[in-house]
Amino acid sequence: MAHIHLGEGSFPLWALVLWTLVGVGLIGVVTYRVRKGGIKTHQIALAGIGAAASFAIFQLNLPVWGGIHMNLTGLVGILAGPALGALIALVVNIFSAALGHGAVGLLGANTLVNATEAVVAYYIFKTLMRMDWDIFPASASAATIGLSAGAVLMGAIIVISGVNGSALPRADLTIAVAGLVGLNLGVAVIEGILTGFVVQFLASVRPDLVGLGDRQQGEEDLSGVTA
Amino acid sequence: MQRWKQYGSLAALFAVAIAAGLWGFRATGGALPWAKRSAKALQRGVKESGGSLIDLGRGVVIAGPIRKGGMVLEFVGLIVLLVAVGIALYVYADRYRGLNDKTA
Repeated sequence: MAHIHLGEGSFPLWALVLWTLVGVGLIGVVTYRVRKGGIKTHQIALAGIGAAASFAIFQLNLPVWGGIHMNLTGLVGILAGPALGALIALVVNIFSAALGHGAVGLLGANTLVNATEAVVAYYIFKTLMRMDWDIFPASASAATIGLSAGAVLMGAIIVISGVNGSALPRADLTIAVAGLVGLNLGVAVIEGILTGFVVQFLASVRPDLVGLGDRQQGEEDLSGVTA
Repeated sequence: MQRWKQYGSLAALFAVAIAAGLWGFRATGGALPWAKRSAKALQRGVKESGGSLIDLGRGVVIAGPIRKGGMVLEFVGLIVLLVAVGIALYVYADRYRGLNDKTA
């Protein structure tokens, strides 16, 4: 659920420029790879459904851990692959910012955070499946680790950037951010379990969706799994 | 890999994450919604506080910026649009699945 919820003007200008450039670079690389490798028609469908689900759940505040929202970026990464997962992260953040949920100036930073979740979840899931793990522990672990990676990146972005208007010395800011990252790790468990159940259900009705063919063939498809 | 090792690893991962979550929950103000929590923590630093981890009485609500900004209708419209596009893409992909999985 890592997402920087600070308002416009919270980061210094150099940080906005930096994270926007890095975000644009990531999306540029992803777009290049997608264009070069191509996308199968059914993967676009999967990405569309993934984006809808992720956007919807992004905006719902759940009454646990004080009040949090989920991202489903781990699930999106596992199903749609790292390239489409990163693009979905961008789309969801643009729509969210358009509604006031997340600053427009932080689109680059938030896309980086959520794309990281999808990418890390995808590769962890593939690795665990190659190690012959069952679907549930593999997907739940992958989503939890992916979301944790996103949370750590979120914390790093805030600490590196600093927050305008905050009188906290950098050391105290780092401790406060560590607390926020820690909370995100707890939330990742909930989302990890949910992702595990969803992927396990999909595997029972459409095993090709979770790349069981890949496990048998030992192949890796960067643009995602097959549908 | 043996199943007990898989679930043991998963349980260990969850244990570490929950421990970090509990510490973060208390250190950053206790039972506060995320946006308020992050704003307070980043302005004032860590501040121990408690409260219940689950507050079912509050229910599931739409994110504050959308709800308070009067954008609920736009949110619902976007959801309907995205779901319609998603289903249309799925139907399209399903219909053309037989045609050799062409690249798009």
